[in-house]
Amino acid sequence: MILEKLPGITGRLPGGELVLTTADYLIDLGRRQSMWPMTFGLACCAIEMMASYASRLDFDRMGVIPRASPRQADVMIVAGTVCKKMADPILEIYHQMPEPRFVISMGSCANCGGPYYDSYSVVKGVDRIVPVDVYIAGCPPRPEALQYAIVKLQEKIRRMSLAKGLATPQQEKGSRDVNA
Amino acid sequence: MTQDELFAKIQAQFPKIEKAANPVKDYLTIRLPSKGDLLSVSLWLKNNGFDYLDMLTGTDYLGPVDMKGYIRQQNFNVFLPDGATPEIESAANPAYAYKPVIDLLWSFVSIREKARVIVKLELPRDAASVPSLAGLFKAADWQERETFDLLGVTYEGHPNLTKILTPDFLQGHPLRKDYAHVKDRFDE
Repeated sequence: MILEKLPGITGRLPGGELVLTTADYLIDLGRRQSMWPMTFGLACCAIEMMASYASRLDFDRMGVIPRASPRQADVMIVAGTVCKKMADPILEIYHQMPEPRFVISMGSCANCGGPYYDSYSVVKGVDRIVPVDVYIAGCPPRPEALQYAIVKLQEKIRRMSLAKGLATPQQEKGSRDVNA
Repeated sequence: MTQDELFAKIQAQFPKIEKAANPVKDYLTIRLPSKGDLLSVSLWLKNNGFDYLDMLTGTDYLGPVDMKGYIRQQNFNVFLPDGATPEIESAANPAYAYKPVIDLLWSFVSIREKARVIVKLELPRDAASVPSLAGLFKAADWQERETFDLLGVTYEGHPNLTKILTPDFLQGHPLRKDYAHVKDRFDE
């Protein structure tokens, strides 16, 4: 924080307990260090997601704690094949999540349909129904890849600012309107 | 009870039943002469120890699959030049006898005898209709709905013969060989 950058100023403050920072930095810090994912697994990628949560790989150390309710979640990890029948429930869950909300598309199936790109029953990529922030390649991706995606998402959130409105990185990029 | 003894027992009761030409694994596989025998044969099997309906399904034996059932795009990967993506065509296999029938299959298990009987029945594709076993076996309920959903076989007397797997907007029966996909709101 600014404490390290300006020791000359903060050192003379009474008690040294005052911290100067920007609202953007503080809000983005809170957002990126406690990203609670909406937990639902659609296929075998969910097994790797569960391995990430477990103690060997320990997602908790990054502030990632799975929530069973979309109302308490910040990020949705779409882990697995999105069937056309499942597309509407995913949209409903997505709209139940509070703003700002982020989506991680995990694995080939969620990215583009994967081995089912020719199928009658599979949505060819979850980005056709919800805007996606981070794509992870792999079939399925290793748990380390999922954790790297969280790191990448944290880097995106760090660049968000209040001056541009409560925009998600998606809107900053101008690729998709989240509120639509 | 060996398979031969079991088959002799079945044939004593239903003389018109014969062994199927291509058995399923090494189980006793019998072929029904007509769909009218299905209910009596399954009732007899149920009363003679085979009281567990393992599964039921079907196969469409019409020619090679119709490529209209696939959502194939000309160039799927935008990073590749035109024509670089592989194109798969369905070709007829000369060693295979295609015929316009749907081959239905039921699998009855006797847990006491550790035995299994596979019952097969061929139906014409246009009039694929067969009596429902849902009254005899509760297990038949959902599996008959699944076969109806994917193959379009009508089960007469089924309490609730509706789609079970595919979404409501999907038209046709996807496991039929001549299935043509109608684009829906999730396809481009």
